[in-house]
Amino acid sequence: MLFRAVAASLTGFVLLQASDIRGSIVIKRKLTRYNVTVSAGLYQRGTAVPLGGDPERDPISFERSRVAVYIEGPGGQTSDPGGPVVATMEQKDRRFVPDLVVIPVGSTVSFPNLDPIFHNIFSLSASKSFDLGNYPMGETRHVTFTRPGVVALNCHLHPNMAASIVVTPNRWATRSGSDGSFVISGVPAGTYSIVAWHRVAGTFRQRVEVSEGNDASVTFVIPYKGPTAAGEIQAHR
Amino acid sequence: MRFSTRIFLGSFLPFAALLVAVFWAINVAAIETVRDGLRVEVRENQDAFARLEARSQDRERRILQGVAQNPTLKAGLELLAHENRHPEEARNTVQDQLSEVADSLKFDLVLVSSLNGNPLAGVLRQSRGFAPIDLSRIRTPQRGLFLEGSQVYEISSVPIFEGSEEVATLSVGEPFDIKRFGIPAVLLHEGVAMLSHATGVPLPQIGSALRACPFNAECQVTIQNRLFLSVPLGTASAGDGYEVRSLQNVDAASGRLQAVLKRIFLFAGLIALAAALSISIVASSSIARPLAKMASKLQKSSLTGDLPEFDQVTSGPHEILDLARGFDQAARAVRDGRERLTRAYVEFVGSLAEALDARDSYTAGHSRRVSEYSCNIARAMGLGEEDVETIRVGALLHDIGKIGISDLVLQKPGRLTPEENQVIQQHPTIGRRILENVHGFERYLPIIELHHENWDGTGYPHGLRGEATPLHARIVKVADAYDAMTSDRPYRRGMSHEAATAILRKVSGSETDSSVVEAFVQSSGRREEEAAPAESALTRLALAVQADGEVRERVEP
Repeated sequence: MLFRAVAASLTGFVLLQASDIRGSIVIKRKLTRYNVTVSAGLYQRGTAVPLGGDPERDPISFERSRVAVYIEGPGGQTSDPGGPVVATMEQKDRRFVPDLVVIPVGSTVSFPNLDPIFHNIFSLSASKSFDLGNYPMGETRHVTFTRPGVVALNCHLHPNMAASIVVTPNRWATRSGSDGSFVISGVPAGTYSIVAWHRVAGTFRQRVEVSEGNDASVTFVIPYKGPTAAGEIQAHR
Repeated sequence: MRFSTRIFLGSFLPFAALLVAVFWAINVAAIETVRDGLRVEVRENQDAFARLEARSQDRERRILQGVAQNPTLKAGLELLAHENRHPEEARNTVQDQLSEVADSLKFDLVLVSSLNGNPLAGVLRQSRGFAPIDLSRIRTPQRGLFLEGSQVYEISSVPIFEGSEEVATLSVGEPFDIKRFGIPAVLLHEGVAMLSHATGVPLPQIGSALRACPFNAECQVTIQNRLFLSVPLGTASAGDGYEVRSLQNVDAASGRLQAVLKRIFLFAGLIALAAALSISIVASSSIARPLAKMASKLQKSSLTGDLPEFDQVTSGPHEILDLARGFDQAARAVRDGRERLTRAYVEFVGSLAEALDARDSYTAGHSRRVSEYSCNIARAMGLGEEDVETIRVGALLHDIGKIGISDLVLQKPGRLTPEENQVIQQHPTIGRRILENVHGFERYLPIIELHHENWDGTGYPHGLRGEATPLHARIVKVADAYDAMTSDRPYRRGMSHEAATAILRKVSGSETDSSVVEAFVQSSGRREEEAAPAESALTRLALAVQADGEVRERVEP
């Protein structure tokens, strides 16, 4: 323990003693009740579109893939905030694509409008509130997120449009795969809070101890709490 | 025309006319009742429908007011109002929002217009999704019906407020459903039928038929020979040249009733026919049958010459019985008269025969005696009373033809020359000629004409052989011969009975019929006592004629 602390202080942020956190998200039930709006061209609303062929629509896999995982901890935030990135969230067919983006704090997201109609993206979230105003096809606007937290996005013109941006305090963050597994690699040894966030189910925390050379293993069991309005609000915080 | 036909027509035709009149009246009343029922039904239906429609419109309005306060739609309108650089995309944005509203609320037409009524953006449901409405050429009403292409939409509108300020109007439309009235109905636009729920009637015909109806008033029209009742259906959508009317087939509604009535009428008609038929048969048979009986009897009498009697006509109306009785009386009077005439004639002819006999004292009483003998023979041969009577009178008259023979020849004593014989031999023919035209004497003619024929054909006037000569004449011949032989003559005395009988026996088979001779021989034993009553020939004749009449009455049933 002492050795490790000394080594860490000596090596600074050279992650010689870093290890991986491997984990899985267990979701047994569908969490999101969503109104399936199939992407349809402008004025093509009201057309019957066959459903069920899309593998993404396997509800459990879909839920598993929509979980953001990141770590919080005394070490994490200060020692390696990670490099800011530039992510893109398109507006296409009246939807945000993708509708979940996980970025470290300080990153920038660009919002290109690919639809032949106006969109007006705004957020009222505490960590970042903004309103990009109306802008037409071909225009792109950018937002830089300087505080960690979950940012919920909407469109003034299209109430069905919603997306989430999870701004993590460091670069140790990821999205789970459709099988629920995730890997956060290169985590320095230490004790952290590992956080799993699902838009509907909310935020789940566990303590995780990362030791040198040993991969930590974490399992989140995300229960179904019912698609209440309260759940939604909680998820947005 | 037969009496039964006359009665049938007389009873059936008025009956039929009465039935037809009653049926017609009932039919008219029934159709009128059905029509009234339809009217009431339509009105009640319409009242109920109007209430329902008012409620549903109220509900729809509330929902629409919620939709109109949709902030995204307001944001879209704001964008449309102020976006100058990209107006096309701004309009697209709003049209897309309207499509969403239409899609989620299942409207076929959604449109926003400015306060002065200018449309700002609108979409219309097509076979695949929604298409923007060409705003340059339409002007939608705030309420009521709206024609786009060939489709009629029913429009309702709500205001869109920004704060407390009305900024625009949201109008939604769905296809006008003529079927929702629940009864056959038709939608008219300025006299042209647009939609109809009445099956089997083409729209143009409905339109042209209803053109005669005054606006908003009940009327009846005939389409394709069918009667329709049309009542205006008050609906919030009507107006602006649109009118919704019911169109109900009265004939179809009253058809079942009419069919039932027709059955009843047919049934009643058949019963009436049967009743008239049986009445006419009964009535006519009570009159016609006795009449026909009388007529057939009269027809028969025209052939026989006998007047019938109708005593046996006992059934039938009084008039017929009176007629039969009257006829009977008349017939009896006629017959009495005829009998008197016949009797007078017989008496006259009898007295003529008597006078003939009296011309010669030797032949006096000859006819009477021959008559007696002949009757005896006939009885001995077992002939009936009628034959006996015929023989009696025939024998009395058998020599009547001698009236036409000269006394010189007739009373000549001694032998006659062949010429004189020839003259004498004419008397049977003369006798027949004298009496052949007298009605009722026909049956005596064979005796008068043929009482000188011989069995072997050697007699006169025709030389008949054997039974070709009637039995009556053969009998009289034997009696005549016997009397001639037993009577005194100027030139000889009469033979004795035995001698005469012997001679008769001798010539039997040649001159005379042997069976008649045998009968005469048998009967002659009783001759004396039977010849006793000394009645005059005339009395006998009269009796004979009377008996003849009685016999005939008995024979004729």
